[in-house]
Amino acid sequence: MLRHLCQCRARSLQPRRLFHDVRVYKEDRRWPGWQVVVGIETHAQIKARRKLFSESLTSDPGEIPNTHVTLFDAAFPGTLPTLNQKCVDLALRAAVALECNIQARSSFDRKHYFYSDLPSGYQITQQYAPIALSGKLNISRPGSPTFPVRIKQIQLEQDTAKSTFNPRTRTSYIDLNRAGTGLMEIVSEPDLRSPEEAGAYVRTLQAVLRAVGSSDGNMEQGSLRCDVNVSVNRVGRPPGTRCEIKNLNSVRFMMAAIIHEISRQRTILESAPNPDTATVPQETRGFDEHRFETYRLRSKEDAPDYRYMPDPNLGVLVLNQDRILKIRETLPELPWDTRKRLSDEYGLSQRDVDVLLAVDSGREVKYDGEIGDADAGAVAYFDRLCAGRATPGSSSPERRDPKVVVNWMTHELLGQLAARKESFADNHLSVEQMGQLIDLVQNKTITGTSGKILLRQMLANPSRTPTEQVAQELQLIALSQRSSSPSSPSASASISTTTDDASSELRALCGDAIVALPDEVAAVRKGNKNVLNKIVGHVMKDSRGRADAKAVRALLEELILKQQ
Amino acid sequence: MRPPKSWASLRIHRRLISTTTTTDARTRIAAHNAHINAFVCTSDPPPTTNENIDTGGLVLGGKPVAVKASICTMDMGTSCSSGMLRDFTSPYDATVVRLLRAAGADIVGKTNCDEFGMGSLNVHSIHGPVVNPYTPPPPSQLLPVLSSLFLRRRSPGGSSGGSAAAVAAGMCYAALGTDTGGSTRLPASYCGVVGLKPSYGLLSRWGVVSFADSLDCVGVLAGTVFDVKRVFNVLNVYDAKDPTASTPEARRRAGEACSNRLHNLGLSTGSLHGLRVGIPQEYFPEELTPAILRPLRRTLAALRKKGATIVPVSMPATSYALSAYYVLASAEASSCLARFDGVEYGLNVRPPPGTDIASSSVGALYAHTRSAAFGQEVQRRILLGTYALSADAFDNYFLQAQRVRQLVKDDFNRVFAAPNFQYSDTGGVGSDDGVDVLIHPSAIQTAPLLDAGPDVDGQGQEYVQDVLTVPASLAGVPGLSVPMKVGAEGDGWPVGVSIIGQWGCEEMVFAVGQAVEGLGGDTS
Repeated sequence: MLRHLCQCRARSLQPRRLFHDVRVYKEDRRWPGWQVVVGIETHAQIKARRKLFSESLTSDPGEIPNTHVTLFDAAFPGTLPTLNQKCVDLALRAAVALECNIQARSSFDRKHYFYSDLPSGYQITQQYAPIALSGKLNISRPGSPTFPVRIKQIQLEQDTAKSTFNPRTRTSYIDLNRAGTGLMEIVSEPDLRSPEEAGAYVRTLQAVLRAVGSSDGNMEQGSLRCDVNVSVNRVGRPPGTRCEIKNLNSVRFMMAAIIHEISRQRTILESAPNPDTATVPQETRGFDEHRFETYRLRSKEDAPDYRYMPDPNLGVLVLNQDRILKIRETLPELPWDTRKRLSDEYGLSQRDVDVLLAVDSGREVKYDGEIGDADAGAVAYFDRLCAGRATPGSSSPERRDPKVVVNWMTHELLGQLAARKESFADNHLSVEQMGQLIDLVQNKTITGTSGKILLRQMLANPSRTPTEQVAQELQLIALSQRSSSPSSPSASASISTTTDDASSELRALCGDAIVALPDEVAAVRKGNKNVLNKIVGHVMKDSRGRADAKAVRALLEELILKQQ
Repeated sequence: MRPPKSWASLRIHRRLISTTTTTDARTRIAAHNAHINAFVCTSDPPPTTNENIDTGGLVLGGKPVAVKASICTMDMGTSCSSGMLRDFTSPYDATVVRLLRAAGADIVGKTNCDEFGMGSLNVHSIHGPVVNPYTPPPPSQLLPVLSSLFLRRRSPGGSSGGSAAAVAAGMCYAALGTDTGGSTRLPASYCGVVGLKPSYGLLSRWGVVSFADSLDCVGVLAGTVFDVKRVFNVLNVYDAKDPTASTPEARRRAGEACSNRLHNLGLSTGSLHGLRVGIPQEYFPEELTPAILRPLRRTLAALRKKGATIVPVSMPATSYALSAYYVLASAEASSCLARFDGVEYGLNVRPPPGTDIASSSVGALYAHTRSAAFGQEVQRRILLGTYALSADAFDNYFLQAQRVRQLVKDDFNRVFAAPNFQYSDTGGVGSDDGVDVLIHPSAIQTAPLLDAGPDVDGQGQEYVQDVLTVPASLAGVPGLSVPMKVGAEGDGWPVGVSIIGQWGCEEMVFAVGQAVEGLGGDTS
């Protein structure tokens, strides 16, 4: 324990390496001649059912204050922490996703300060020996080359309570619901060079944390918060003094804060008499959301001494290789892997991939990393649709055409759900039902038009009835001129009768049209083939979309011209 | 001040304490607590006073047990002898209290102590000092000038002074204390009772108000080693609520090693043949008074006579232990006591009228409560600990003290024959020429005078009381203080001897403790 502490302490005290820029300077028209350096500390609430060190359930911001509180959360005398291993596992997922070096031994420290949102007078964090070090996150932005951001470390720590001050009654209100909820502090190296890159980094990180189930990354709800370190320097000069802007709770505010900070720091440096000695005073700053400006919270001289001390209760967190391996093996697919797979394996267009991923990015993140229903998520739904249906007697299922599937999903299914003001999560159509629908259209048992009607009907009237049966009940089976091959061997008996019926019904409809439109029939017989379209239209209308226009045309021609 | 006449009845044989009933205990508390001040509150007697009922087969059935005021109980206050928690009642029972109740014990009351366990004389308490109830033999054969000294009030030692005094006065069968740096062993020595600081991690700390988490242990005090052992066995249960609880595996391994060694020695026959007793040469500082040294020599001679081998050993880190202890304990105290801000519970002192609440820092607002509620000694240690943890001092004080602590642990692991099973990755394998136990005086003197003035209140004097007890606390190994037979050469007050064993070797410590006890205890 002591050796561990000394080593970690020594590491934390090592002077930072000389600045070697990992990025090539690129001029920004907004601040020519200046380089902007940004690093971000992200606090992500761990999506665990219980708090980091207590049995208490975690809470949402809207809940009744002080209803998720155990004696430990309220720092009652004699209470002790018990580490929630679910939180550790979720942090490990993030660490694996961010390609971090997971530490076989890490430990917890106490960070002391007096504030009403901190009942015990200290926050348990990982100052000296964090759970994961030196990772990487690749950032892609449309129209720019992908670049890596180095992750310095991930540390586990407790969230604080919420205190609000009412100036009128001069009263502080303290809500301990959030106190002790698990946080991951994810610290980037100063590898970002613009407000936009910073925004892209946070969005990418958010997507990764959501994908692996570590955090729901919801900035509006406060489950993801950022502290941003910003410095500016003239090109070719060493980096400037950084200022830290605390507690930014939206990407928009974060980018605005960086932009304001750049201009503020530039003004200080440009107005200094000697550019060689000019420095920005090191400060911790806040962001005013109404004025879109940063403001001074405290200077370096006022920086509190947190009196970090190894937590004597929690000891060393030992992680064996088996545990890390298991996390690695069961890690949900990462966004960039999904993207690559969808385009490489299925040949989907960038646009279709974007649509599917966008649907999944809004998906609910379950507690404790539970994956939930296997159908959940558009990508999983798509995968299962493409995998096709199992054919009896054959080990490999009959795969569906991915492009047809993605069209049905993105255009029809998502479109009709949107029209119903429903999200993908509200979709109750099983993969089997949706797959059958696509199959019915593909093998021309129903027409495309009927397929859309059928989908609308099935979304409006949820049931477990197989799609083909619903199609028959709605009389949507296509009218064809001859008995088509049955859609599946198992259903051959019923299908062949229906198709026989269908073929005779189509013949009857055409006969009716010939009787109903004698003038047009006569014109066609005279050789005016254009008039045939009108008769086809009549039949199509009568068939309520069940007929295939080409087939109707052929049948009409046959009937009209044969009778000549 | 002369002790009241009724104190004569307090000269109790330890066998008598062993058989003390709930009714006896409550009667004695009612009669004598006003003078002794051992209890700060008492519980209602159990519904049935017939003690033969409802105790059926329970290990502690009907036994009156006292609990230190820094251990949580739902039915009585847990003041920790602090103004901060003067009116605080815990909403839950500590695990050790729950285990006592489950074993049939009657928790008769909460005992006085130094505030949050910080002190060695039990004088730092909002409930006032505890008076050592021991009555020395009639001083007829002593010089008149000395005899007046013997009748002046003495300290029971601290910080678990109330617990030791309660046992010594027959107000209970056994008492729980806590021991961070000697707080159970020192009062046991001063009051002439048996006191155990168990191996760190064996008894649950859930519900024990923290002074210094890495050092705090629940201590057990009783009249005889047998009774201490009985209570210890009830409490020695793994508790998942305590993250520092030793794993069942570590307990089993240490216990087995200890049992095997005891079996091979065959101590039960009364012979100590083969037992190797180490005497650490560094445990005889210049402050040690002759009143301690002579009984110790006699005890060692008697043990040798019974077959034990006395082995001089050296534990070179001992001289640094006290300083390291005060740095570490104070640093942890400054952290553990940060929670007392008067917001969620405890005393709350409003800032004076006119204070601008909106612009004051929260720490400045809390200062009103903390300044008013904490006693001088607690404030002193919080300040010392706060400094030791500050960025500038951390390396030279806290880290340096941690290094010393490791050296102290190494000392113990080097001299013991048994390996240390506390953590799987430390402790080595033990050594063949090692010793089974260490024996040293529990204290440098007999109970100090309560009203000695600045001499006692000067911190240096008070801190030095702990010089012999802190090494075992730093190392986390068990220590048992047993009263020795005292002769006519001293002042007639009790003197304890400490038996220290390897981690988890309580059985060995008890066995040797019973052998020492068998040589004859105090002169009563």
